[in-house]
Amino acid sequence: MKTVVLEDLSKTYPGGKEAVKGISLSLEKGEVFGFLGPNGAGKTTTVKLLNGMLVPSKGRCCVLGFDPAREPERVHEVSGVLTEHARMYDNMTGIQNLIFYAEIFGISEEEGRKRAMVLLEKLGLKEAAEQKLAAYSTGMRQRLSLARAMIHSPKVLFLDEPTSGLDPESAQNVNRIIQELAGEQGTTVFLCTHQLRYAQEICTRYGLIEEGSLLAAGTLGELREKVDSGAELLIRVKNLPKRIFQGKYAEEKPDNSGEGLSLKIKSEEDVPGIIRCIVGEGGDVYEVKVNRPSLEDIYFALTARGKEEQL
Amino acid sequence: MNRAMYAVLKKDFKGVVSNRRLFSELLIVPLILTIIFPSISIAAVHFAPDDPDIVKLMELLPDGSRADSLEMAVSGLIFNYILPVFFLMIPIMTASIMAASSFVGEKEKHTLETLLYCPLGVKQIFQAKVLASFLFSMLVSMISFIAMLFVLEMEVLFVMGDLLVPSAGWLVILFLLSPSISMIAVTLIVRGSAKAQSVEESQQGAVFLIIPVILLAAGQFAGVMLLNVWILLGLSMVCALLAWALLQKAVGRFNYETLLK
Repeated sequence: MKTVVLEDLSKTYPGGKEAVKGISLSLEKGEVFGFLGPNGAGKTTTVKLLNGMLVPSKGRCCVLGFDPAREPERVHEVSGVLTEHARMYDNMTGIQNLIFYAEIFGISEEEGRKRAMVLLEKLGLKEAAEQKLAAYSTGMRQRLSLARAMIHSPKVLFLDEPTSGLDPESAQNVNRIIQELAGEQGTTVFLCTHQLRYAQEICTRYGLIEEGSLLAAGTLGELREKVDSGAELLIRVKNLPKRIFQGKYAEEKPDNSGEGLSLKIKSEEDVPGIIRCIVGEGGDVYEVKVNRPSLEDIYFALTARGKEEQL
Repeated sequence: MNRAMYAVLKKDFKGVVSNRRLFSELLIVPLILTIIFPSISIAAVHFAPDDPDIVKLMELLPDGSRADSLEMAVSGLIFNYILPVFFLMIPIMTASIMAASSFVGEKEKHTLETLLYCPLGVKQIFQAKVLASFLFSMLVSMISFIAMLFVLEMEVLFVMGDLLVPSAGWLVILFLLSPSISMIAVTLIVRGSAKAQSVEESQQGAVFLIIPVILLAAGQFAGVMLLNVWILLGLSMVCALLAWALLQKAVGRFNYETLLK
């Protein structure tokens, strides 16, 4: 079931800046979709379009069948949003803030308090529940904002840089919560970030965006196929005969110690043959590692390709 | 009004009351205008010698304004002609501070964006904010009136041995003119808040509302124009109509995009 759909979605600001250029993609129920790109690429504008804060200049989008430009309130009923600019009240405590937002979503005060306590405990904020927000650190505020976005058990969660300002332990905890939500409750997560390594840890599918245009979308495997950059085979070997591969593999790079060898291979299928060849020629293999292109490598390959095409 | 609007209204009320600086700002002017100023006036009337000019002034006034003693007559004049004007200033001031804090203040602190992501329409947020500011200003006016009446009557009773009788004009001021003016102030502030980037900037608009009220007060003090019930009723109607028109126009001006600029 498609939960979020974007069809040729474009947004040009009154000043003439094209923030989003004809993006088309769709999200399935329960997937964690990473919407990735550098600052100013159009990620936040897309989230605002998907929540009806901005009206598209061209194209359309819908969240669980509701058009945010026409029925923003309906979209907000079923979705939770975490953005850098959406803050909460400093003069209220953590729990008071959550109860207030629960009430706005039509949840009774009693039920809101129960839900708030569960979320605060999950996010490691139970001790700070009765503290005023003014005393919260940046990381605590971020975690409380996540609790606020989840207080009404949304079906779709829009998260803009959810781990910004979090320490590694809290970031790991947040990742676990997001994965639980998607896996156990079927919540669709639309996660915007410029931290590609972080996205690779948590997302099931990706959309790479640059200057408002979608460069590519798909799973990591699908994206790897698109850039076709193969993989790197790292071998730690002793007694390696010279010129064993005779230029068969590109970038044969023995390191300074004389024990390490790096080979550019097309796929993992090449690995057994290479190892057999080394062992057959009297080499002693101690370690073998295949490095496939990371999301970061794919992103840079795609942006470089885009620039070449422009030239 | 649904549960969500009620939650916003309740939060705005609590927000003002829990903010000591804002709350004291809201209370200090009503306190001066309705307790300190009338008390000084009563004391001045009581302790000042019988001024022949005041006697002449009393002779010029309509029969209804005269009382058994000169002290009571002058006190009655202050109570029924001077003090009502303050009840036009109080709602303008209270409504302006509250509206600016609850609308532009939210924009300034980036909490408005969070509200916009809730299942409340812009119109509903607008209505809840206007209502909160309006009700708060009316509450401050009513409490100020009750406190003023109690303190003033006690003082007059203690000093002059009699009670002051409120004129019918008070009813019109408290229940018609003051609410209409308060609504105009709130609407002007909230209307300007889409463009205003700070609380102070948005409060500037309400300053223009104070000018006619000051002229009215000057007129009352100087005796150029004494407001009777019919003038007050007419003024109330005009202000109520203006408030309604401004409110209708302001509601249509808002959308998510203009508010998040």
